Amino acid sequence: MAQTATTTGGRARTRGRAARYSAFDIVRRGVTHSEWPRSFNEHELRTTYDVVIVGAGVHGLACAYYLAVNHGITNVAVLEKSYMGGGGSGRNTAIIRSNYLTPEGVRFYDRSVKLYEKLSVDLNYNVMFSQRGHLTLAHNDASLRTMNWRAEVNKLQGIDSSVIDAKEVGRIVPYLDVSADTRYPILGALYHPPGGIIRHDAVNWGYARAATHLGVEIHQQTEVLGIETAGGKVTGVRTSRGNISTSMVINCTAGWASTISDMVDVKMPLVTHPLQAAVTEPVKVFLSAVIVSGSLHVYVSQTDRGELVFGASVDPYPSYSMRGSLEFTEGLAAHILELIPSISSLKLLRQWAGLCDMTPDYSPIMGVTPVEGFLVDVGWGTYGFKAGPVAGEQMAQLIATGRTPDLIAAFDLARFADGRLVGEKGAASVGH
Amino acid sequence: MSPSEHWRIERQPGEVIDRSQPINFTWNGSPVTGYSGDTIVSALMASGVRVMSRSFKYHRPRGVVTATYFDPNCSFQVGDEPNVRAAHRQVREGDVVRAQNAWPSLSFDVRAANQLVGRFLGPGFYYKTFIRPQTLWPLYQKVLSRFSPGGEPPPIGTPHEIFDKRFAHPDVLVAGGGPAGMAAALGAARSGASVMLVEEEYELGGHLRYGGVESLAALASLRAEVASFDNIEVLTDSVVLGRYDDNWVGIVQRSGMWAKERLIKARVGTLVVAAGLIERPYVFEGNDLPGVMLATAALRLTGLHAVKPGTTAVVFTANSTGDEAVARLRSAGVQIARVLDARKGDDVVRALGRGKVTGVEAGDGSTTEADLLVTATGWTAPTSLLNMAGDRPIWNPQAARFTPSELIDIRVMATGGIVGDGSTAELVAHGRAVGSEAAARARGEVPQSVAALTPYPHPALFQSTTVGFVDFSEDVKSKDIVSAAREGYDSSELAKRFTTSGMGPAQGKLEMVNTMAVLAEATDRDFESTGTTVWRPPYAPISLGALAGRAFEPERISPIQSWHNEHGAKNMVAGQWIRPEHYGNPAAEAANVRSRVGIIDLSPLGKLDLRGPDVVKLLNLVYTNSWDNLAIGSVRYGVMCAEDGVVMDDGVTGRLGADHYLMTTTSSGAGNVWDWLEMWLQTVHREWQVTITPVTTALVSINIAGPHSRELLSRVTDIDLDPASFGYLKVRTGSVAGIDDCIVWRIGFTGELSFEIHVPASYGLHVWQALLEAGKDLGVAAFGVEAQRILRLEKGHLIVGQDTDGLTLAYQAGLGGLVKLGKDDFSGKPELVLQEARAGDHSHLVAIETVDPMLVPPEASQIVVNGNDIVGRVTSSRMSPTLHRSVCLAHVPADLAAPGSRLTIVLTNGDRAEAVVRENLAFVDPEGVRLRG
Amino acid sequence: MLLIDCPYCGPRNSTEFRHAGEAGKSRDLASATPAQWRRYLYEYDNPLGWVRESWFHSAGCRRYLSSERHTGTNEVRWVVPFGTAAPSSTTDEETSR
Repeated sequence: MAQTATTTGGRARTRGRAARYSAFDIVRRGVTHSEWPRSFNEHELRTTYDVVIVGAGVHGLACAYYLAVNHGITNVAVLEKSYMGGGGSGRNTAIIRSNYLTPEGVRFYDRSVKLYEKLSVDLNYNVMFSQRGHLTLAHNDASLRTMNWRAEVNKLQGIDSSVIDAKEVGRIVPYLDVSADTRYPILGALYHPPGGIIRHDAVNWGYARAATHLGVEIHQQTEVLGIETAGGKVTGVRTSRGNISTSMVINCTAGWASTISDMVDVKMPLVTHPLQAAVTEPVKVFLSAVIVSGSLHVYVSQTDRGELVFGASVDPYPSYSMRGSLEFTEGLAAHILELIPSISSLKLLRQWAGLCDMTPDYSPIMGVTPVEGFLVDVGWGTYGFKAGPVAGEQMAQLIATGRTPDLIAAFDLARFADGRLVGEKGAASVGH
Repeated sequence: MSPSEHWRIERQPGEVIDRSQPINFTWNGSPVTGYSGDTIVSALMASGVRVMSRSFKYHRPRGVVTATYFDPNCSFQVGDEPNVRAAHRQVREGDVVRAQNAWPSLSFDVRAANQLVGRFLGPGFYYKTFIRPQTLWPLYQKVLSRFSPGGEPPPIGTPHEIFDKRFAHPDVLVAGGGPAGMAAALGAARSGASVMLVEEEYELGGHLRYGGVESLAALASLRAEVASFDNIEVLTDSVVLGRYDDNWVGIVQRSGMWAKERLIKARVGTLVVAAGLIERPYVFEGNDLPGVMLATAALRLTGLHAVKPGTTAVVFTANSTGDEAVARLRSAGVQIARVLDARKGDDVVRALGRGKVTGVEAGDGSTTEADLLVTATGWTAPTSLLNMAGDRPIWNPQAARFTPSELIDIRVMATGGIVGDGSTAELVAHGRAVGSEAAARARGEVPQSVAALTPYPHPALFQSTTVGFVDFSEDVKSKDIVSAAREGYDSSELAKRFTTSGMGPAQGKLEMVNTMAVLAEATDRDFESTGTTVWRPPYAPISLGALAGRAFEPERISPIQSWHNEHGAKNMVAGQWIRPEHYGNPAAEAANVRSRVGIIDLSPLGKLDLRGPDVVKLLNLVYTNSWDNLAIGSVRYGVMCAEDGVVMDDGVTGRLGADHYLMTTTSSGAGNVWDWLEMWLQTVHREWQVTITPVTTALVSINIAGPHSRELLSRVTDIDLDPASFGYLKVRTGSVAGIDDCIVWRIGFTGELSFEIHVPASYGLHVWQALLEAGKDLGVAAFGVEAQRILRLEKGHLIVGQDTDGLTLAYQAGLGGLVKLGKDDFSGKPELVLQEARAGDHSHLVAIETVDPMLVPPEASQIVVNGNDIVGRVTSSRMSPTLHRSVCLAHVPADLAAPGSRLTIVLTNGDRAEAVVRENLAFVDPEGVRLRG
Repeated sequence: MLLIDCPYCGPRNSTEFRHAGEAGKSRDLASATPAQWRRYLYEYDNPLGWVRESWFHSAGCRRYLSSERHTGTNEVRWVVPFGTAAPSSTTDEETSR
């Protein structure tokens, strides 16, 4: 792949330095009334690219950016059937954390958090990463045991993570009801100070802007209709705007991963479920940390604007419908008020849904497939946004070097046929 | 004359206030008096208040715009309740009302200084700054969060008030109680349908309520007709929130004597959307000054509340509503300084003034002095519910608004302003026809089309030549959308997200069309190709309390729980069950079992009664071990694996008769196992004859454990307990404490001689108390879950879900001996066959002893090699009251599983400890002498 | 809230049911290779479109049912007792409600 990049590297491309973002530049442009230049460009679809990335979400955009910046591979098209960041990347609840259960999970997500921590500077785009702390509540001894398990694995991997008692939980978030006589008493929590929330749109746009100025082309409103192969190798992509010849296609979609993989007859161990979320009207900030309750299947954080952002577990049956349901909001509100009883007068303003491709072991599928030149970065379940930077970085490395990096080796597609599942399901299924 | 009298006008024919009932409240600490029927905002307007809030970003003073629930500038703090929509909420005696987004006061807000730097606070400015130095970002963030536009959160300790829910099954549900909606309800009701008519405001009528005398006369007759039908249920101050799959419709009822808010969930035959039209603001410089309002706002304030919104007005009109406003304001004593008619080419260029309107500059360059500028420039059809039913509304350029395309779902129809315009009579005729058809469709008749109601032509008016606000609540100006488009955020979704236009409390109802118009012009596209954004539910905000309802969270308790509570039980939550963890001293409870006898309430244990000639086939299929030779009167332990070989449940099953078995499962697994057995019987082996009856709560389960257990039981039963005839793993039925048909089996989870009794549930407490009474001299005492855990750990018995996890295979759990690969078939067999071949790769469950016997490594402590490489973990760990040393189970890799292997454990405090793998899982009585005794 | 027309109980809210997976997988113990077995365990068609699947009426008659549902619109075209032949009139074309 690196070879291909060299051969096309010399061709003239629309690229250049992005406008610098800083307080000084804001004032300068304000005073001189000079316009900000375009962050993203529209292009004609060309007939050949070295790499075609399907899906302009955070995974596809990050992959494109790291291909360009780390490996100099810039003859890259990112194809998006709608608008960039309009799928899961713009619909998630933007929680970032690395306190996973398995060593391979922890290492991987820790790398993601590290990339997120310097992303604003790297992209010269403030992604508003707020490391406000992340609390996973335990309501029974089984979940407390799982929290301890995670904390111990985390600590040994150098992650700031520990189990704290109910009193400490109440000190960090006074609005939580930590009294012992509730239906789901808070026995303690896994506390992860580096966890937090981020502005998801900013991450998507920051990557898109940086990749654009490195020469990557992002084609919105461009739907992939088919992928051509010959002799078990990828040869091209058919799109709603014309055909492309390429030897490398990366499936970076969520919700549509089965559909795209079907185009090359690669069957995936995926089931697509909607995941719903909702937001309230704003109130002055009172919730400092991100709160997660596995037993009650809810999570909540408060944005800087004051809105409470809620999420829950995936819908109970598979669907591609993103219309959302009333019963979701009912269950959500009931469970939130179990945790924070005083906010019953706050009003739900909007609900929405995204699509999640669930895998049997709650871990992603990354890397090569039986079709040469068809790579996947899919199966992210409910945690894809957290992994955007590291997945992009590692997939870019795989494309550039042809070798699967150690950090993602455990997440290969072949593990299912071989019966080597990753252990994150251990955390998800233990307890009540 | 009080200030309030100054702005009140003479009695209006449609006024909703009761002048005989004054209402006193405070506004930012000052007393104000309104009338019953006033909204908070109309009462404030009547007392001369014009500035209602400060804007989100620039802290500009803002006044009334729409005078409806969705007024972007009228969200107040009322007592402890934030974000009250004060142009809708009726004022109540004693209300303490405060502005939300002003400091130190509404009239002097220091953050208004933001206006001076406004040019720097363009769309997305925060993405472009505070990047370096990174260390200062948390500080910047604190500053940004001060700009939250919301009110104060309710204080900690605010009680969860009473909220309620209700189900409904109307044949026809009409969303919107204006003339077309009322007529639709009538049309449906007349053909016998049950109808629910939902109106957002406090009374039916829609725009007829603030129309002229003729409108009021038409309204009176419609109201009378609606009232004459028993099969129309009218809900006012209620909003249809959303239309979900299969016409499941949510409605919030905001006021009522039963609860603060009520959520109604309706399965609707046909949904008729009659949501009317929302008047659209016009974009021009100064369009956010207090004193600039919509024609409908002026009509509402004058017609419903008899409030004069100003003294001298300019009216900019493009339609009959604007014309009506001219006439109304004139009759209310407002001087009409000028009428600008868009149909004749007039335009408004800017509103002049600081903090309030003082004049209006027209398109011709002339300036008119005025304190009120009323605009009537067009409409937005709130197609939200149609969107949710799959419709994609299309832009109608002649009418300058979106209209429904084709309603593909025959269970959803529309009438009124949302589809077209007409005289009151035409709207009513269309409503009646749609209502009648809706009723026919609800009866299942073949759908017929209804003659269309078409929109009137309307000039396309969105923005003037100047820059103005597109979104008042988000402080987004037209030029912000233009710059966003120029920066590349040029699709409607990206522009909306980048500028946040339409993201505020009105959720696009006022902002969306203007945003699209500005974007279309900036990108030189028409409306069609600019696209639209999807309306997402709910249509109107609903409180978390109403969604939660009374928040029922079921609890399951044993029939003996009252005894436990009376005897000092400390309870624990185990799934849905609440059960005793201990009665004060679990170690002593465990010791008493080992030395004397204890009883534990195991009622949450899952229990399934299995009958039929093919039960043994089922058992062979769902358990990994063999059940072929289980004799009547015997019990056996079994492990269930899912098809992927992962341990999913375990328990004991006993054979009570030739074709009769009792299966026990884990407490939390009971429901899943039942479903799973049905799956095998109904989808794989449909020929097998097995009937499953869940008896978990039909039986109380009591375990008697300890060396004196036989003696104790013998005192209350007629069953022969002689070990020669009732040995280990046997089951007998008989009378216990005078209760017939009890099932008693000998098993030994605790490792002691023990008998488990399953008693008809209503006699459970009796048997429990009889055992305690009969065993006083034997030292019998109750023990809880914690003592049981200690005892089972001493015996090396695993707990599924604690010593196994979601990926633990049978071989890894030390259960390989129970996997009979020789059987023809069982769940998980193929996977276990494959996994057995590489057993060497797997982890193993082993018992370990810490070198320091007094050290109890916390559960979840990790086992490491080479420093920090994790290879296993401690799954169970306790101090043993029997052995006076710690006892643990752990998962270790195959190369560390051999007896005598030394392990390094990292304790939760970071210290490291050494431990040794034991020969046997059992610490106490590995030979099983006690339990077989 | 999806409405599922249980052949035993009549139309009921989907919250009464448990989704029991895609239909059409055959559990072939005798001749499956390891790879085929894992495919049976883990792979799904997961289509956007009409899918045949099973539901379990867990809070109702507790029968397993077969159905055809469109995963884009959630329209349920038919529901029959498990093991009963699908209604023959259906095709893969869109039906209108």
